Amino acid sequence: MSNRISTILAFVIAVIMFVAAWFFMQSGDGASAPARAEAPVAAPKEVPIDSTRCVASTEWMKSHHMQLLNQWRHDSVREGNRTYATPDGRHFDKSLNTCLGCHASNPMFCFMCHEYANVKPTCWNCHISPMEATK
Amino acid sequence: MNQQRRDFLRKAGLGALAGIGAAAGMLPLFALEKTDMTVFTDKPVPGKVRWGMLVDTRKCREGCNECVVRCHHDHNVPDFGKSKNEVKWIWKSRYEEAFPTASKQFQSPDVENRNVLTLCNHCAEPPCTRACPTEATFRRWDGIVSMDYHRCIGCRFCMAACPYGSRSFNWQDPRPAVKELSATYPTRERGVVEKCNFCSERLVKGQLPACVESCAGNALTFGDLNDPGSELRKMLAANETMQRKPELGTLPSVFYII
Repeated sequence: MSNRISTILAFVIAVIMFVAAWFFMQSGDGASAPARAEAPVAAPKEVPIDSTRCVASTEWMKSHHMQLLNQWRHDSVREGNRTYATPDGRHFDKSLNTCLGCHASNPMFCFMCHEYANVKPTCWNCHISPMEATK
Repeated sequence: MNQQRRDFLRKAGLGALAGIGAAAGMLPLFALEKTDMTVFTDKPVPGKVRWGMLVDTRKCREGCNECVVRCHHDHNVPDFGKSKNEVKWIWKSRYEEAFPTASKQFQSPDVENRNVLTLCNHCAEPPCTRACPTEATFRRWDGIVSMDYHRCIGCRFCMAACPYGSRSFNWQDPRPAVKELSATYPTRERGVVEKCNFCSERLVKGQLPACVESCAGNALTFGDLNDPGSELRKMLAANETMQRKPELGTLPSVFYII
């Protein structure tokens, strides 16, 4: 009989230990929120812009520039993550002005293709288009 | 196998289990060094910075509109010429309009006739962002109540929710109503609400807001409310200040010295 009680006791203790271990691990997760890294907000980082090459290949940009611009807007406006790193390690400011920094040299850059493809995006209802900027 | 041996094995097994449990309890996960994931992203930490402003109405000169002109030029704010569809980011209000719930009994005529510079308060508890059904307006990581004009559907719920009248609606195309187009900032479209953005486009470049920069009387102080060492916090500690309609619990980030 006493043998059986000691077995049950040992089992109960084991269960309590497991529950306690689980509890500690849980609370450990909460308590271990690490000291956050320095925020880049107050002091803006200088993002050197390498303007010799585009952020992606011409083919990809032709088909995906709208998705890229959408993603950039979301990242910079809502997340505050303004630096875009290309797979080959170049860095760009996530801004339409980054694009216009190079492509505005040809004021017809956007319009020629959009005219040909008969798409009418509303970008220039608000943003100053290269056509207007050069006026 | 005799009985004793079986008992011994059973107890030893349970003891080992209990031992593992105890070890896990004594060596919890937080004792181990965790990888700090924030190192791997450029995202700013929300709440670390809270931009704020202090308006010293004693220094704000009567008749001077320099900050208003500069702000409205830099941000391509349209001027439709009628107060009915006026669009404004920063403007001057009479004292009783800016502080309608402040006591005015036996107020000094100097204060009563004073024009107070008013702009979006960039509240810590902004009612406008709660009213917005599309999340076009939202509170940023640095406390700025920002607008994403792309997403605004023009329902004007935010205008109804804002207790300070800091939001304006474009009833018509604003582009022709912008006198001098500033190339550094976009305009807006018809059917979109607009407001002061605390010059977030200048803050990224490390510049002060246009109104603060343009003020000749040094009446505007801009800084981080979360940094106890900032000029703004020192000014707030040294002076008696007011907020607009503090009883609403919106916790404005714009303070006033009367």
